Order: sequence, then structure tokens, then C-alpha cells
Amino acid sequence: MYFFFQVALSGIATGAIYGLIAVGYSLTYMTTKALNFALGMWVMLGGMLTYSLIVLHAFSPLAALPIVVSALFVLGIVAERFSVMPFLRAGSDVWVMSTLAVGFLMIDLAEMIWGRSPTPVPPFLGKNPIYIGPLSVLPQQLLIIAAACVTFIALDLFYRRTLLGKAFRAVAHSGETSSLMGINTRRVQAVSYAAAAALAGFAGFLVVPLTLAEPQLGTVLGLKAFAIAIIAGLAAPRGILVCGLAYGALEALISGYFYTGIRDILGFSLMILALFLKPEGLFGKPVEERA
Amino acid sequence: MTDRYVPWLVGLALAALIVVPIFVQGTYYRFLGIVVFIYAIVTVGLNILAGYAGQFSLGHAALMAMGAYTTALLTKALAPLPFFAATGLHIWFGVLAGTLVAAVFGALLAFPALRVRGPYLAMVTIAFGWVIFKILQEWVSVTGGDLGLSSIPKAQLGTYLFDTGSFYYVVLGLFVAALMLQYRLVSSELGLHILAIKHSEIAVSSVGINVYRLKVLVFVISAAFAGFGGTLFAHQQNYVSPDNFQFFSSVFFLLAVLFGGAGTLMGPVIGAAVLTILPELLQDFDKFRLIIYGCFILLTLYFLPNGVMGLLAARGIRERRTAIDSTGADAKSPHKLAATVGVALQLNNVSKSFGGLQALRDVALRVEPGTVHALIGPNGAGKTTLINVATGFYPLDTGEIIVNGRPVTVRSLDDAANQGIVRTFQTIKLFGNMTVLEHVVVGCARHSTCGYLGAVIGRKCARHEAARNIAIARDLISFVGLRRYENMPANSLAYGHRRLLEIARALAVRPQLLLLDEPAAGLVAEEIHSLAHIIRQLRASGMTVLLVEHHMELVTSISDRITVLDYGVVIADGPPAAIQRDERVIAAYLGKPHAAP
Amino acid sequence: MTGTGHMRVAAAIMAASFWTWAAAQAQEPIKIGFAGALSGPASFVGVEIKRGAEIAIDEINAKGGIGGRKLVLVSRDDEHNPVKTVAQYRELVEREKVVAIVGATNSASMLAVAPIVNDTLKVPVICPATDATAITENDAQKQGRDNYLFRVGMYGTGQGNFMVDTMVKKFGHTKVGLLTWTGGWGVTGRGELQRRLKENGLSPVADETFDNSDTDMTPQIIKLKNAGAQSILNYALVRENTFVVQTKEKLKDSTPYVSAWGIAGPAFWKAAGAAGEGVLTSTTVTIDGPQPPERMAFVNEYRRRHNQDMDAAVFAIGAYDAVYLFTGAIERDGTEPQKIRSALENIAEFKGLVKHFNRPVFTRDRHNAVTEEDMIMTRWTNGQMLEVKFDAKGPHVEIDAQTKKYLDKSNMTLL
Repeated sequence: MYFFFQVALSGIATGAIYGLIAVGYSLTYMTTKALNFALGMWVMLGGMLTYSLIVLHAFSPLAALPIVVSALFVLGIVAERFSVMPFLRAGSDVWVMSTLAVGFLMIDLAEMIWGRSPTPVPPFLGKNPIYIGPLSVLPQQLLIIAAACVTFIALDLFYRRTLLGKAFRAVAHSGETSSLMGINTRRVQAVSYAAAAALAGFAGFLVVPLTLAEPQLGTVLGLKAFAIAIIAGLAAPRGILVCGLAYGALEALISGYFYTGIRDILGFSLMILALFLKPEGLFGKPVEERA
Repeated sequence: MTDRYVPWLVGLALAALIVVPIFVQGTYYRFLGIVVFIYAIVTVGLNILAGYAGQFSLGHAALMAMGAYTTALLTKALAPLPFFAATGLHIWFGVLAGTLVAAVFGALLAFPALRVRGPYLAMVTIAFGWVIFKILQEWVSVTGGDLGLSSIPKAQLGTYLFDTGSFYYVVLGLFVAALMLQYRLVSSELGLHILAIKHSEIAVSSVGINVYRLKVLVFVISAAFAGFGGTLFAHQQNYVSPDNFQFFSSVFFLLAVLFGGAGTLMGPVIGAAVLTILPELLQDFDKFRLIIYGCFILLTLYFLPNGVMGLLAARGIRERRTAIDSTGADAKSPHKLAATVGVALQLNNVSKSFGGLQALRDVALRVEPGTVHALIGPNGAGKTTLINVATGFYPLDTGEIIVNGRPVTVRSLDDAANQGIVRTFQTIKLFGNMTVLEHVVVGCARHSTCGYLGAVIGRKCARHEAARNIAIARDLISFVGLRRYENMPANSLAYGHRRLLEIARALAVRPQLLLLDEPAAGLVAEEIHSLAHIIRQLRASGMTVLLVEHHMELVTSISDRITVLDYGVVIADGPPAAIQRDERVIAAYLGKPHAAP
Repeated sequence: MTGTGHMRVAAAIMAASFWTWAAAQAQEPIKIGFAGALSGPASFVGVEIKRGAEIAIDEINAKGGIGGRKLVLVSRDDEHNPVKTVAQYRELVEREKVVAIVGATNSASMLAVAPIVNDTLKVPVICPATDATAITENDAQKQGRDNYLFRVGMYGTGQGNFMVDTMVKKFGHTKVGLLTWTGGWGVTGRGELQRRLKENGLSPVADETFDNSDTDMTPQIIKLKNAGAQSILNYALVRENTFVVQTKEKLKDSTPYVSAWGIAGPAFWKAAGAAGEGVLTSTTVTIDGPQPPERMAFVNEYRRRHNQDMDAAVFAIGAYDAVYLFTGAIERDGTEPQKIRSALENIAEFKGLVKHFNRPVFTRDRHNAVTEEDMIMTRWTNGQMLEVKFDAKGPHVEIDAQTKKYLDKSNMTLL
């Protein structure tokens, strides 16, 4: 039993990161029907920036956080303007390529700026594991889980209680109608994209002490988070955290009880199956076509 | 630059590709050429799927891998046997097997992928690619794991082993064959249908084509191309490893499609050639490789949104798209419709609700054969829902549909069309810039018996059918009065003419029951007169017509019977005169001025 | 506006044509080729090879080159991708006319090019980095034809033997666990380790694997612990190994951990930090602890040129020795590639940075310079790779010329 819980616990922490990134995909998709296909690279950027601030310039994590998040927010606004907005023509999926292109650029730029060797970032709350009975968990992992939950609750409140949040939901429903109602649809779209970038930066900030700071940090993370967003349903942010945690635990358990090699094979195959059975996502609502 | 020069250019390029390598020393350029041809073959396959049918797949590298590994394993196993060592047949078995295996995997991928679209589709293809990559990495005993399979036999014919120099010509030949196949596919009926799907799947379904099956077919064809390219790759490199078939390669192929010009014949060739050769020329920039690549993608998307071929098209160098010949105007084609036997339609106790909203409640309706029956009511009454239910677009909750006295199940729009029930749409659904003639020819799909394969290989029956369909389409176009616009792109037509086009397309299916959903919406008085005339002629030919309309003058002038819906319930049903006097109808819908005096 | 795309292509073609022409004009120098990962995650290996080769070439040119002709390194970035390596090898030999090549960074690349090198290109290649045994034990070698592939680094069979034999015979462990990477040479490595264990009459108590995206090795470490492994043998690179030692630390696991030469460089300590203390690594050479003067000179020269210490010395040193081996062969029999190849098989003695060979470096049957007898086991001690030596009292490391510290065989801590 120890084995089950220990392994699942490590997996849940990873799953929390997937969830944090995945909700970024959902954010932009809802308002623009496009998304940042390379969100994982933004996670990497957040992580590298964190590394620079904390390791090279001796910032404390608390001081580094607002810098990382706002830097990525600004970059998100810029990127959206140049790599997404021009391609939002109805029926075109070209933004897939344009956001990927920006991602490639970021990897190379990161290599040029920070070099290629993976470097460690000290965990924010120290290295000593915390013991819950016989189970050991790193403080950073608990921090991640807590941060993800808080973020999701905050997002949910944002959507339901604030005016801007309601504007988001309106635009998600129909951009044109929202314009007619006086909502600046363009601005909402740009802000949602930048917010997703900031969230990715936040995820990078949290995860980099657990992995290593390197340009390839985000590639696989982004891919898996994307899969989770799709499985949960791009238009159903509430389910995303659940799916993320579940998938993280599932991955770890497959590794533990079978062997690592088939983890991704099983995981991704399950995803394909889930989409086949429920194309709108596990938590999504079926979209009725209009004829 | 006219069409005339293009065949010469192509011929010249081909000649150069054949002759120039003879004069070049060393194997490097021929090797590069082979790589370009192979990548071009895969790109052509992806172009058919992504460029023509509009399904963006990011998993084609995995399909290429299927071909490559299949032939690698098969040929390595068979090569030692004396029969194969002497004949070299194992290579060609391997190529065939690899292509087939890739096609099968294409079908497997299509089933989940085509249930979704847009980013969901992309995700499924990426996930598929990832799963295949991981299997190749993990299943070490079969695939050699990350280090792959080496010593794959060289291509061989008889006892002659091809070296790079001679294999170049083999691959060149196969590349040309692949291009010709693409041309045949695209300019056949299959190509026409694929193009139509990109614009409106619903409309394609409404003329009786099973869209899902068609998309699966396109996926399979595309996968076969990729697998074929993979087999050639294996026999050229004599080594395969999962490294060659990663996500990045799938991105490369899609980029090649976009850069060259999606949905064009030469686009994938240009894309594959440039994207393969350019990095070779920029060897010294290796530090900035990904930056250059990323910038390249962005610049392509900004400045060449329709690719290189799009750029040329803007300067007047266009490809001829399909084989539908616009010549031969037949001024004497009759303006009469072929006779048909209209069916009786009856709906009993039909109910349909959406979540909490009851759109139709216990609707009973009887349309007599060969009559014009109108369905009127306020907005939101459920009129379009009723059409959707009758044509299988929505499943009904309760009740039954009875055609000519027999209960039928209508599963989908294409199922309806194949039972003789065809509809038009409230929001016109046309196929972009396809010509008027092409639209109506698509409508003839139901009557083509020769099959796609026959069309592609050019069997006689297919050619006859194609000619016959064009003739039928011409007749119908004249019938609705759009003769003059036969070769114009549909999206350049005036609104009223687009409606007529949709009707002509529906008529091409030869319906026995035609459902028109607000055909007069947006038409001016003169156009409504033409419409009424057309509907009367339809009735005269024996067709049953169910007409949803708001335009009361039109309705009362041509209908034999009117049914009135309000809030999903039938509130009146009878001849026009009676309806106009009905109190309930006046209260709910007509208002005083439209009532009979 | 639409012409921009055209102009870029045209500019690139013009630039490339100019360079090709310029290169053609300078036929005089003797060209040595290199294609390896100069970008991407494996680039720290490729960059080290290139730099090591460049130091050797500059030294030789400073002494007048070979017969008055200068040496030149022509390098390409193959992005660790075998398809590119194959294309670039053809280009290097047929267009650039290199007479010798320093091997690539990816074992898969070398496996892909080996048949082409032996059948078509016929230019000698010395590999400083790639481990897969089949690179040198290739078809040509097995069929008795001329084999153009040579190696100065660790090679799979030998390394596998060395790792297993050291732990089983010298440390007396009978319960050995495996933890290997599913990528690249982790696959062959695993095979080698399994083979040697079997030859020693043992089988692994646990056989765990991980892949590129694993950052937490909890399940694997727990399973190895539960199986009672006395030591864990590993084949992987810096990144994954960092996660392994971090996980071990988290789980408070002190099982001795032995890795192949994937972590034989400061990059490992930079990434893992103190969690890497006590990890054993097999390699050909280390630059820590007491050093012979030639090696110190090399280390200092590297530091002078690049303002940093080496990330992976073993590869730079291997490349340096490769260049000098080529030079020796050319000086003996001239610049014809086939003659260089045969000359390489006849070098009776060689003062390399890796070691001083006082036996033939290569022979017709043995294209691996470094054999099991030459390999060393090192221990990561406070950021340094110190060679583990054995005497009557047991295994120990030399902190400096005066201090010896013995190792506790059950957990590799310093006593």
C-alpha cells in the first residue's frame, strides 16, 4: 500500500503542473477558438527566467514570482499580436503553425541566452522531504499542488463573480455578439492569451526546482498538458484540474506497476480512446450543430 | 504566362532531373535528390489530406515510420532466402507491405481523429505519432529500440543491387508516378468531393455522400503515400531509427504543404524541395537553426498565406483544378425537368427537445405526393427543426416518419438523400469558390455507380458517367436560370443566385421529396417570381415539395396545403384559404392585414 | 512585399555559392571533418569534441603543420540526427574532400554511417564519444574487409564488462540491479550489462528503465530497493541521472550507484550538486586528482581559450588524441584516406592524453584503442571525479598526492 500511495503522490504533483498549463490552453481557446500550441515553451521560459533571477541574481522566490509572471504576460500580449491575431480568420487552423514557430524561436533563443547545460534551481522551501506517515513528499511538490488548487479556485471565482470574467465567458460564447454588447472583444482575446502565458510562466516558476533549468524543459510538459486540456474539454476549465491530477497519478502508477516504457503508450492511447468516446471532452458539453 | 507554358516547364524540369545527374561527380547530389523525392511523396500525401480536404494532421511522420519499419523487417527476414536473393522480389514485397500497413494504420488513426476537428484533430494525430514513436523506442526486440534497425537491404531487381546513382532514377520514376496519381485523384470525382468537404461537410452530406467514410478514405490514401515514402526511405538509408520520425518531422511535412501551397498539385513538391535543400545551403548557420526555422514559418504564414503556388496564382499562373471542362456550351439543352415520382411524407407524433427546450411536440403532418406543402409559423416555432428531423440531421425523440405508407428510419442527411429526401438550407451552404457547374455535379454523386477507384484509374464507365453528370448539371443550371454563370465561382454570385444554385444542386440528386428551407429569404420580388415558377414546374414534374417560408404571398400563391407551427405544436393545417381565415393563425402569426378579407 | 520570400531564397543561394567557391579555391590545407550535435541537448558533447580537435589542430599547425600543409577542421551540426549525419558525411567527403573524420555524438548516427563509410566513402573515422559496440564491430570487420571505423572512447561491450566485473569481482556484490535509459545507447548498454551479469553467473535483481520525460524516479528506486540491490548499474546521460540521485536523496536511499560514462564531466555536478556525491562512473580518463603534466597543459589551454572549464573532458581529450593519431598516420604514409586507414592499424606506440599506449593503439582485429584493462572507475567526490584505486586494504580515492580515503563498500561513503 505504501508503494501505491507514494507513487501516486509523486504523480499528483506532476499532474498539478499539467493542470496549470492545461488551463492556459483552455483560456485562449475559449475566447479565440485558437490556442498557443507551444505553451510548453512558455513554461520553459518562465523556468529559465526564474533560474536567472533566483540563481544568477539572488532574488528570493517571492520577489521573483511577480517579475516572472508579469514579464510573461507582456510577452504574451506581444506574441498574440504578431503570431495569433493575424491568423484568426474563420476556418483557418494556421495559428497551429504560427504559435509553433514562436515556440521554436524561443527554444533557440533560450539556448543562446542560457546555454545548453541543464542547471539546478534550489527548491523554494528547502530540500528535506516532508513525511506524512511513511510517505515522503518534497515541499516543492506540496507547494505545486496547493498553488494549482488555489489558482483554479481563483479562476473559477473570476469567471463567475467578476465583470471581466463574465466578459470572458461572453466572448467565449460569441465574439461578435459580445462586441455588439460593448465588450472589447479584441482586448479580451489579447488578455486571455497573455493570461495563459502568465499562467505558463507561473507553472515554470513552480516546476523548475524539481526538474532542471534547460531549454528542453517544456516540450513534453506542454504536449501532455495539451492532451489533458483536450480530454477534459477545452471549454470546461473546471474538469481540467481533476483530469490533470488523475493523469499524473495514472502515469506514475503505470510506471510503478508495469514499467516506465509503456507509460506514455498507455497514457496517450487512453487519451485517444477518451476522445473517441466523448469528442467534446470528458467534462465538455456536446456541441449541437446547427443546420 | 498562360497555361500553355506550364507543361513545357514541367517537361523541362523533368528532363533536367534526368540528365543533369549524369554529369555530376560523386553521390552527394543524387543522394540529396532522392531525399527530396521521398519527402515530396510524403508531402503530396499530406497535401491531399490537409491541403485539399482541410484536415490538419501532425502525425504523418509516424505513418512514414510504419512503412519504413515494415519493409525493413520484412526484407531483412527474406533477404537471406535464395529465391529472394536471386530475384530481389523481397524489396518490392516490402514496399507493398509497408504501404499497406501504413494505410491500415491510417484507417485506425482516422476513426478517432475524424470524430473531432480543429485542435482536437491535431491532438489526436500528435498523440498517435507519440504512441508510435514510443512503441518504436520500447519494443527493442522487434524494432531495435532507439538505435533502430541497420543493414536494411538495398533495393534490388533480379540480381542487380541499386546503388545511389541508379536508385536515383528509380525513385525519380516513382516520384513522377506519385504526382500523376495525385493529379488523377484530384481531378476525378473523388477530388471534387474532397474539395467540397473542405467548404461544407453538411452540404456534401445532404447530397447523399457519406462524409465520414469519405474522410476516412482520404486519410487512408494520405497514409499510403506516407508509408510508401517511408519504404523508399528505408531502402535508401539502409537504416531506420525512431529519431527520424519525430513530431518535428510531422511539423516539417505540414510546413512543406503550407509553404508550397496547400491544395495545389505542385505545391507539395516545391515545399518539400525548398525545405530540404535550404538547410543544406545554410550549413554554416547551424547555431541559429531553430531561429531560422521559426522565422521561416512565420514569414511564410504572413507573406505567403497561400504558399508559393498562391503567390504564382496571384500573378496569373494558376493550376487547372479539375477535369470539368467548361467548353462546349449547348444552347439547345431542354429546360424541362425529368419526370419523377414524388413520395407521400407523413409525420406522426413527432417530438424533439433540446435539453429543457421542447422544439417539437407531438407534430402530425401529411404531405400528399406531388403537391407543394407549406410550413409556416413564427420564428422559433420549430420549422427548421422539423426539417432537420425529417432529413435525419437530428434524431427524433418520439414518433415516426412514414414515406409512401412505410415507416422509415432516417439516420443522417446522406441517408435521407439516398432515400430520395433532399433539402436546402436556411443559411446557404455552398462550396466556396468552386464553380456553379462543379456544385451541381457534386449533387450528381448519388447516381455514380462506377466508384471512386474507377474514376481515378479512368475506366470507360467512369468517363461516361462524368460526361453524363455534366450534361445533367447543365440542364439543371439552365432550368434555374443560371446558365450564364456556369463557370463562375459560386462565391461571386449574387445572393439570389446562390439560392438558386443550392436548389439546382439539390435537384441533381433527383429527389422525390424536396424540402426547401426559407428559399425566398433575402430575395427581391422578381427573384421570388422566378422561384415560384420553378416550384410550380417541380410540382408539374411530379415532385413532392415541402416549403418552409415566411413570405405569405409566395406561400398562398403556390401551396396546395399549409401547416402552421407555433411553439413546436401544429395549430392549423389546411388549404391556403382556410389558413388565412383561421383565428389562431391570425393571432399567432399572420396579424390582421394578411388575413383574407 | 511578396518578393521578400523570393529574395531570401536568392540571397541564401548566392551566399552558399560564394562559400562553396571560396572553399574550392583553398585546396592546400589537409581537411579533417566532423559532424555532430552542435545544437540541442547533446550539444555539450559535440562542442567538446570540436574544441578538443581544434586545440590539437592549432598545436600541430603552430609547429608547421604536416609537411608544410596546415590542418583544417570542417565541422557540421547534425543535430544528433542520423539522417543529417549520413548526408553530412557524404558532403564532407565528396564536396569538402576531407581525408579523415572525427566521429559523431550519436551512436545511432555512427551506426547509420558505418556501412556507407566502409562501402562508399572509404575515409577513416575515429570516434571519441559513441559507445555502441557495433560501430567498430561492423559488417566489414566481420567479413574481413577493410574497416574504416576506429574508436578512442568507451565501447559498449568493454564498458559493460568493466562495470559489472568491478562491482561483482572487486566489490563483491552478487545482487545487482539495472536502471537504464530507453533512449539511444541506453538500449545497447542494458544489453551489455545483462550479458556480462549472465557470464558471471548472475542475473539482475531488478531491471528498471526510464525515458526522456521522467523527472521523478520514485517507482524505479523503490522497486530496486525492494529487490535488495547491493548496487545499481546505470546507462544514461546527465539529465536523467540528476533526477535519479535527487530521487534517491528524497527517499533516503544510499544504494551504491554506478553509471557509465554519460555523466563523466562537470556538467553532472553542476546539475546534481551534492546529491551526486558518492556516485561511481566508469570512464577512460579524468582530469581531477593528481594529473600528468600534458593533461594539465591541455586543461589550461582549454580554459584559456574558452574562459570556462570543460563540460565533458573525456570527449575533448578523445578528440585531441584522435587528431594526433590521424597526424601520426598521415606523417607516416601520406594523405590518401586508404593509406591513413592502414597506417592507423600500425601505430606501435602513442603518447595520448587518454593514456600512454605502449602497445599498438589499433590492430586489424581491434579497432578500439581503450580496452577493459585501460578503463577506470571514478567516484564523484565533492565535485571531482577521483579515480578509484584498489590496494590490499580495499578501494580508495586519492584526494591529493598525500591523502587517501577508503570507501565503505556497502554505500560508497568515505571512511
